[in-house]
Amino acid sequence: MNLNALTIKEAHELLKKKEITSVELVKVHFNEIKKRDKDIHAFLSLNEEGALEAAKKVDERISRGEPIEMLAGIPVAIKDNILIRGVKTTAASKILENYIAPYDATVVKKLKEEEAIFIGKTNMDEFAMGSSTENSAFGPTRNPVDLERVPGGSSGGSAAAVKAGFSVYALGSDTGGSIRQPAGFCGVVGFKPTYGAVSRHGLIAMASSLDQIGPIARNVDDAAAVFEIIRGVDELDSTSVSPPAGGWQDYWDSPLDIEKIKIGVPREYFIHGLNSEIEKNIKSVISKLEKEGAKIEEISLPYSEWALATYYIIMPAEVSANLARFDGIKYGHSTINKEEKLQSLLDVYLQSRGKGFGVEARRRIMLGTYILSAGYYDAYYTRAQKVRRLIKQDFDRAFNPPTGGVDVIITPTSPTTAFKFGEKTQDPLSMYLADIYTVSVNLAGVPGISIPIKEVGGLPVGLQLIGKNFDDVKLLKIAKIVEQLTKEIT
Amino acid sequence: MALTKKEVEKIAELARLELGEKEKEKFAEDLSSVLGYVQKLSEVNIEKVEPITGGTSLESVMRKDDETKCISDPQMREQILSASPNRKDDYFKVPSILE
Repeated sequence: MNLNALTIKEAHELLKKKEITSVELVKVHFNEIKKRDKDIHAFLSLNEEGALEAAKKVDERISRGEPIEMLAGIPVAIKDNILIRGVKTTAASKILENYIAPYDATVVKKLKEEEAIFIGKTNMDEFAMGSSTENSAFGPTRNPVDLERVPGGSSGGSAAAVKAGFSVYALGSDTGGSIRQPAGFCGVVGFKPTYGAVSRHGLIAMASSLDQIGPIARNVDDAAAVFEIIRGVDELDSTSVSPPAGGWQDYWDSPLDIEKIKIGVPREYFIHGLNSEIEKNIKSVISKLEKEGAKIEEISLPYSEWALATYYIIMPAEVSANLARFDGIKYGHSTINKEEKLQSLLDVYLQSRGKGFGVEARRRIMLGTYILSAGYYDAYYTRAQKVRRLIKQDFDRAFNPPTGGVDVIITPTSPTTAFKFGEKTQDPLSMYLADIYTVSVNLAGVPGISIPIKEVGGLPVGLQLIGKNFDDVKLLKIAKIVEQLTKEIT
Repeated sequence: MALTKKEVEKIAELARLELGEKEKEKFAEDLSSVLGYVQKLSEVNIEKVEPITGGTSLESVMRKDDETKCISDPQMREQILSASPNRKDDYFKVPSILE
């Protein structure tokens, strides 16, 4: 049995039956990391000592015959923009190179209560800005499937860690596709829950009306198991919300009847720019679903065409506001000179930020500042907020009767498979286009999941399913059906 | 739509970012290309559409200002203060603001 390819459920059963110990499980993962992370660079920092100590405690509980939580004793990797108290948290930026988090993010607190084992912090694009991890200030992550290629981003380290057998699952964050796209590129499952379903307290903010934390895992069951633990209203995140009626459904009760599922195929997502082999593989999943009894309906999301432009106004605007906190005064990289009496405050700001932020962060701060500046605000920002509403209404129409009433929408996760290093770094706009199928989901606040389907040219392909707000559990159940059908195809 | 180097300098000042000379030119190019792309939104008829202002429909969520909820933990308080590059006792020290 390969202990580096276990799912959460399998690991949990083995621990419960005392066939393995948590310490053994942690050790096999660190062995793999030591062997291969030189090449892959999924991690920015490791927590071997702490992980072994925590694992020992879980083992003691098991040997005393105590029942353990689903995630207890199982390794998890955390994206380096999520705070773990006492642990270095850099967001892959020079400006936070030596920053030690003084508190736990709510999701981390919840995982600690489960006695999950934190093995390390994963690499990412600086402040989650990018689609390849090439924007990390500490060097890129390589795709475990093909080291010549990017793992996607911004949660590229998290996706690579799960794929490479460095961790059983991981947490990522998703602002415009940053969980789903790297999951697609690396061949794992990546789930972005409904906006507000998971507390963002302790997540270093990028674009607050879009950011969401979610799991990256080896299968849909695992993503659901992690989601169950991390979701919930949090007093420390005023945008966290609970489902409108009756709480969350139970993922584990009974599988959905495929004949009762209605799936929407948006015609705007199958147009020029989409790799024809990817299109073929997505279409073959759709026909398989139809053959098994699901209702397939062509739908239209007419404002899709303007989603990326809307995103590249709203996101940088929020970035420029959120990143104003890095000022060289309270924490982080600073050019403040304790001896120099005549240093001006403005110079401290200009130099600390100028040197601390990498190119993409500076580019987006500049864009956002321009967009929000007097005279341009209405032309750009207000207009984008209005188009954002139209995009959201597209989804409302698709999901709600009488205009629609589909249960999920099916699309590709990305127009291409993982690209090579340097292919898109010179032209920011070409990099931005990698998010074309994922950004609408964040703009509308709806949940989305990427699951691996049949590969193209030896590289993973992600299929995206999009659900209605707070229908996360239904979305996961349908994702599980697709996951099983896909196994029959490949 | 092309930004001039001067406009880039103005934005950089507003954003409190020191940029190198070469970078100013590169950013003038990059920002112009992205701003050119987002001009696409002018094609959309937004008459009578209300802007969305956040990710949820929640409005002004409030909670009591309860200091025990914030930094009641002395160790955490110390960690926060000691992250500062220039500190005096329990204060962040900043360069003088008045000339």
